[in-house]
Amino acid sequence: MVDQSIAGAAGKLVAEGDRSGRARLVILLLCLVLALSMFLSLTSGASDASAVGVIRDWLTGAVPANAALGARDRLIVYAIRMPRVLLGVLIGAALAVSGAVMQGLFRNPLADPGLIGVSAGSSLGAVAVIVLGTTWLAPLTLALGSMALPLAAFCGGLSVTLVLYRVATRQGRTSVATMLLAGIALAALAMALTGILIFMADDRQLRDLTFWQLGSLGGATWPKIASVGPIIVLALAAMPFMARGLNALALGEATAGHLGIPVQRLKYTAIVGVSAAVGASVAVSGGIGFVGIVVPHLLRLLIGPDNRYLLPASALLGASMLLIADAIARVIVAPAELPIGIVTAIAGAPFFLWILLRKRGVVDL
Amino acid sequence: MIEARDVSVAIGGKRIVANVDFTARPGEIAAIVGPNGSGKTTFLKALSGDLSFTGTVVVNGRDLVAMKPVEAATARAVLPQATTLSFPFTVREVVRLGLVGGRSGVLPGEHGRLPERALARVDLDGFAGRFYQELSGGEQQRAQLARVLCQVWAPVLDGKPRYLFLDEPVSSLDIKHQLIIMNIARDFARRGGGVIAILHDLNLTAMYADRVFVMHRGRLAANGLPQEVLSDDLIEKVFDCRLRVGVLPPGNVPFILPQSAA
Repeated sequence: MVDQSIAGAAGKLVAEGDRSGRARLVILLLCLVLALSMFLSLTSGASDASAVGVIRDWLTGAVPANAALGARDRLIVYAIRMPRVLLGVLIGAALAVSGAVMQGLFRNPLADPGLIGVSAGSSLGAVAVIVLGTTWLAPLTLALGSMALPLAAFCGGLSVTLVLYRVATRQGRTSVATMLLAGIALAALAMALTGILIFMADDRQLRDLTFWQLGSLGGATWPKIASVGPIIVLALAAMPFMARGLNALALGEATAGHLGIPVQRLKYTAIVGVSAAVGASVAVSGGIGFVGIVVPHLLRLLIGPDNRYLLPASALLGASMLLIADAIARVIVAPAELPIGIVTAIAGAPFFLWILLRKRGVVDL
Repeated sequence: MIEARDVSVAIGGKRIVANVDFTARPGEIAAIVGPNGSGKTTFLKALSGDLSFTGTVVVNGRDLVAMKPVEAATARAVLPQATTLSFPFTVREVVRLGLVGGRSGVLPGEHGRLPERALARVDLDGFAGRFYQELSGGEQQRAQLARVLCQVWAPVLDGKPRYLFLDEPVSSLDIKHQLIIMNIARDFARRGGGVIAILHDLNLTAMYADRVFVMHRGRLAANGLPQEVLSDDLIEKVFDCRLRVGVLPPGNVPFILPQSAA
């Protein structure tokens, strides 16, 4: 009797088909995972510097026994690892949330900024500034300073997204096949133009570009965080306001409109937000692929597609996964480091194939 | 009241709907019938604000073109012919989307239970936890109707009637559920709301419609009470096939019997 009444009460508390309780719990756990990832990332690295020691000394005000070693450790932790961890969090969150928003916008679980050419467009903008920054685009880089790179990347990503949306969407319906194929075409075009710029680059620029194109958090510095951090934070802050609209959009553009969602405004906010977040990410860390497709997909399996929970959860898991990928990239060939884009691609590409196999029939081209 | 005057819709330079006058009154079910491609759905899309049109549409005294999405969503809910989802929403999550606009007309405290109540009305008790994508076509259609009902749960809000726009609401349903859905529409109208339904079943139209609008090649061929409009001559001409229209004694409800070509 007692057991039954408890079961009955529990049944009433959690309504059937309502996954919001589980989603909240998962988000809470993901906060812990992110804190743990940040701690691990801060304490691991090629040098033997002890982040724990530095933090302990900072907290207690103690002076390390070996002053020179203490100073070296402080430098490594403050100037190298901390900005790198912060950048990893920002970019992981930006890429994962951008993926989720893009998938909501295109009503398709396969949309990803890296896959459909948005990142390639951002790369083109960024490479243009790197290569032509001292010649043709000199007035632009002079006027904008450190913002020139992220802004150019933003414009490149925005152009691709707008063209893609125009091409792939007819009468409120987005064709998956058109979206993916148009994305491939636009990415190829952007990469060809990038190729021309690389051809024009000098040796020093070339080395920067090669490493940057594979994707890396290696160049993390406080000034870089100051230039792209606000853009990413702003774009991320706008995304929760789109969650309800994106949910309604899952039923189709016309139906979302019938439900009272200002669809055109939502679409343009989403496109601009995604382009800003992806552009800023690409500007500092190059092309890091598959985060935007793997993270939201895993979370949808876990907590469902409700964007009110999916977007914050994607930010948390995206940040954690990028930090872990970065830790692997730093440790696996230490003291050298692998570009992080290689790590995410090696893990992400098979995952993408797995989605396609599993969803055969559901994702009809 | 919804009043459409001289409404025409052109898509890609082709006129799909031409000079249609149409009125939907609160308390009534207005049925739109006509052969495939006669412009019924296009006309309903114009009324829903999805397509640009010439002419005027006035909803409860307000010009439709001037209404914001939220205002329109308060005045009417729209059931499309079919809705496919690309993400694994549960039935409950889909039905809850009807509450996105926030003007269902019940107290906010009752919002949590509304999906279950709406699902019960469309005979989908116990389906809340199922995945929408795994339902049959007819069950999906009923789940969507539950969502639409959540949006305009109270047929009258702030003293103004609200409307259900139903595009072939019973086309994929078995006969029992056809009657359940049509009874929901009738109940909504009896409680002061208005219903506009595109129907293919002329017998259901005769049983449930208070007013019938017959469309033919983008134009209004006739409109009036079912017993006036559903006559052998008109129906045979519009649908281009042989039919016999009879009358059932209680209430003189017309019934339509198709005749084989032979």
